[in-house]
Amino acid sequence: MHAITALQYALEKQGLRPIVYVTQPRLADGRISKMPVVTNLTASRALVARALGINDHRSAAAIYAGRTAAPVAPVVTTTAPVQEIVIKGDEVDLTALPALTQHVGDPGPYLTAAHATTYDPETGVDNTAIQRCWIKSKRRMTYYPYPASHNNRNMRKFWAKGDDCPVVFWIGHHPAVLMGTQAKLGYPQSHWSACGGVIGEPLRLVRSVTFGDKIMVPADAEIVIEGTVPRDVLEADGPFGEYTGYSGPQVAAPVCDVACITMRRDAIYHDYGSGLTDMLVPDNMAMEGKVYSIAKAVAPALSNVYVPAQGRRFHAYLQFNNPGPGEARDAMTAALAYRRLKLAVAVDDDIDIFDDNEVLFALATRVQWSRDSFTLDGLSGSMLDPSTPMGAKTHSKMAVDATLPLPPSPGAPRPVPPRSAVPSDALEAAAKLISGVNTQGWPTL
Amino acid sequence: MSRAPEVLRPGAPWEKTGNASWTQCGHCANWFPVGGELLARPQVKLHCPTCHTEFLAADAARLIKAG
Repeated sequence: MHAITALQYALEKQGLRPIVYVTQPRLADGRISKMPVVTNLTASRALVARALGINDHRSAAAIYAGRTAAPVAPVVTTTAPVQEIVIKGDEVDLTALPALTQHVGDPGPYLTAAHATTYDPETGVDNTAIQRCWIKSKRRMTYYPYPASHNNRNMRKFWAKGDDCPVVFWIGHHPAVLMGTQAKLGYPQSHWSACGGVIGEPLRLVRSVTFGDKIMVPADAEIVIEGTVPRDVLEADGPFGEYTGYSGPQVAAPVCDVACITMRRDAIYHDYGSGLTDMLVPDNMAMEGKVYSIAKAVAPALSNVYVPAQGRRFHAYLQFNNPGPGEARDAMTAALAYRRLKLAVAVDDDIDIFDDNEVLFALATRVQWSRDSFTLDGLSGSMLDPSTPMGAKTHSKMAVDATLPLPPSPGAPRPVPPRSAVPSDALEAAAKLISGVNTQGWPTL
Repeated sequence: MSRAPEVLRPGAPWEKTGNASWTQCGHCANWFPVGGELLARPQVKLHCPTCHTEFLAADAARLIKAG
């Protein structure tokens, strides 16, 4: 039942992040599914960058920020691979989908890569977000739109009018499209154009079977689930292994009564390993784009941003090229205003922000804590953060300026000792010397 | 419920307190975490993730509420 997620953990433990494709997954009831499962599709920054057509993952922040700022409108088609098979009414069987039970404590199989699309009943503008669903029976699943989410706002608007909320969930697409849906947008603002900006061409949409052009769905997705969220019906959902690496508590969640499932003839079921790099990497890379754009607005010397998966979604490293007085602090203050982020570290461009050893070096040698760090209390953050104080609704955040002091005058060296180094030609020669040597068995720690 | 909810209270600002509420299933004795929003809706049944028994929070074997 947990076999595929366990495989992801075992691979991650070894630092390996291949795509995992299972041709005959076992269903929760023991049957073998004919529908394959793919997971770990986005576990690697290199793979995600390749999907986005970016040569080096290190440059993703500025590129992602640029692409989401240049949206491309979608196109509507009537020929949709995702509607090759249409299953309606009593023929619907969610339990036939090879959804995984991932973690100890999860109550059953969850859709983890279901992109929920709802719309604002006042403007008609749609919204899309990955939101989990626990499959409870053939036609009913819980649906947990996080309270602060735009889908939750749409749902509440329908409920306030006395109506059930229409919703579709689409699963599986090109990884670049999946990245496009991670774009952090205002409300109400459609993700379809952001997707188009990220992939560099219009996203192909088709009318949903149940809701027509009220809710469009990606024509080239693998699976679509269409249904309604009945007004004011709440059921227990969870516990669920979350992105924090901890099990989130059981919550009162809406449910979805499913009316229709459509899919490709050869549909592949996509699963995100919750709390694993598979789920952290795409969201964190999208975060890098957002943090880059908001911090760059106040700090032009900002050159790059990294949101490391080992910090879950709480840490960001900001890199600067000769920041002016106050600029690093301005940037970190702006960055910390962003949602889940609770630690910002500023470094110079001689520090590789994608190497924790380098960031720790900067923290160790360029910081006097009382002078170079500051905390901001009462900012919004993640209620799933296990360190949140009991009863608190806001969070305490920290910024650390690990940049070097400015040179006293143009052209002068910085008023600190130089870093130790060996000549670059000697370093190259040394690298050549060991390149052909069998190093197996040599100590690594 | 066999006993009244046990309520954890925050201590001094410099003391770590945790923030998770836990309940114990009366059927299988498994403990699982529950959110405050769910506990604020006493009519919504909790669902034991181990034995799948559904029960009201008032009928839990034990309930330890944070804050």
